[in-house]
Amino acid sequence: MELMAKISFVIYALIILGGGLVAVTSQSLVRALVGLISTLLGVAGMYMLLATPFMAFMQILIYVGAVAVIVFFAVMLTRADEGGEEADPAPIRQSLGSLAAVAAVGGVLSWVLLTKPVQGLKVPVEVAVEELGKGLMESYFVAFELISVILLVAMSGAVLLAWERRVKK
Amino acid sequence: MKIPIELIRIVVALVAVMAWVGLNALLLVYCERKYAGHIQRRPGPFEVGPHGIIQPLIDGLKLMAKQLLMPDGADAILFWLAPILSMIPVLLLFLCIPYSPLLTGWEVNLGLLLILAFAGLNVLALLLAGWGSNNKWGLLGAARAVSQSVAYEIPLLLAVLAIAFQTGTLNLTEIVNGQGSWPWQWNIIVQPLAFLIYFTSILGETNRAPFDLPEAESELTAGFHTEYSSMGFGLFFMAEYANMVVVCSVATVLFLGGWKGPFFDGWWWFLAKTYVLLFVMIWLRWTYPRVRFDQLLNINWKWLLPLAVANLLGTAFLMKVFA
Repeated sequence: MELMAKISFVIYALIILGGGLVAVTSQSLVRALVGLISTLLGVAGMYMLLATPFMAFMQILIYVGAVAVIVFFAVMLTRADEGGEEADPAPIRQSLGSLAAVAAVGGVLSWVLLTKPVQGLKVPVEVAVEELGKGLMESYFVAFELISVILLVAMSGAVLLAWERRVKK
Repeated sequence: MKIPIELIRIVVALVAVMAWVGLNALLLVYCERKYAGHIQRRPGPFEVGPHGIIQPLIDGLKLMAKQLLMPDGADAILFWLAPILSMIPVLLLFLCIPYSPLLTGWEVNLGLLLILAFAGLNVLALLLAGWGSNNKWGLLGAARAVSQSVAYEIPLLLAVLAIAFQTGTLNLTEIVNGQGSWPWQWNIIVQPLAFLIYFTSILGETNRAPFDLPEAESELTAGFHTEYSSMGFGLFFMAEYANMVVVCSVATVLFLGGWKGPFFDGWWWFLAKTYVLLFVMIWLRWTYPRVRFDQLLNINWKWLLPLAVANLLGTAFLMKVFA
């Protein structure tokens, strides 16, 4: 089982990284979206590996089944062609900025990995859905409810943006 | 090296599922054409074999023998990815359907969630097909498929959630075990509204008439699969019929007592119920005219969604009162 887990970790990591690469480098927006979707699927696989199938299925149901589809819809409405201004080579400042962002995150992560001893090498145990629900509704109740406030804010923001535009016309 | 028994079981189940999907497609194509014929007072396919029974097999051979074509300016990768993406999740969906306590390919604790999650991949395939084929009809079909399936997924999930509330589990086998053998012990008696919402939503989700706007022949030629020939079209076709079987099987598990039935429990009851539901789906297709797109969205957002929410709240309330 150890070997199987390692092999699947490598496969999922390759799917995630490959999808990310496609998403970043591809010229066509739809292909980039397909890269993003494969990254999301790879992350779902990682959740499976961590023995949290509930998270994995939710990842697929929400991110792949709903969010990606909505993003696709937005892309379809824009009909951005491949020769748009985004297709021009990026200015050097932008590349340096993204390099700094990657280096910052990667640096912190590798510093933590290199200096702190690895904590959890044990085989993860699956948590039952009942316990998960109890945890969310009892111990982490406030955090759980605050997440829905974020969604509410996002939704009212979207409504507000659409509203202003209509008034201006 | 020892091969784990679970792996063998899943591989055997996968092979069986593939055969089952193919068989179902043949059977359903025949049923569809025969029912359509008789509903319209004509015999339907009649020439090949007795009562045209070999017709779907010949159709399948014809599809396989045709040339695979791709339109100019199409995105090759996305164009060929789409039919494959529509077919692969279907195999996974069939794996965890409990045909009987023994005939379950893969016993998953969260089987219901797995089916709902992977069924959503189908719409992605339709989108890629519509976009990748560089065709206006295809793109319009894909755009309709998105707004339709995003809308109809919500009441579907809410209806299913009412059953999950009531039974307290997402395991399909346990949901069946919570119901009895006689029809008045099935969930449909307690949750008739949820069943109605579920059944209406699956017509929208599987793009079946009267909600078949993504492939409306008279408006969009064939919508998202206009440009597909040969087995490219064949895969979409098989995936569509397989998806119909999956959603009807889930309806059987959730509302109609699964493999349980009067006198003798077993897989025969499961198949009988699933095929009755499939018959109703086909019957509806040849009875009702296609709705307009604004009507389709109005039915969902103004009727199904509020009803599903009310049903869910009512279920929760009654469970609190009587628990």
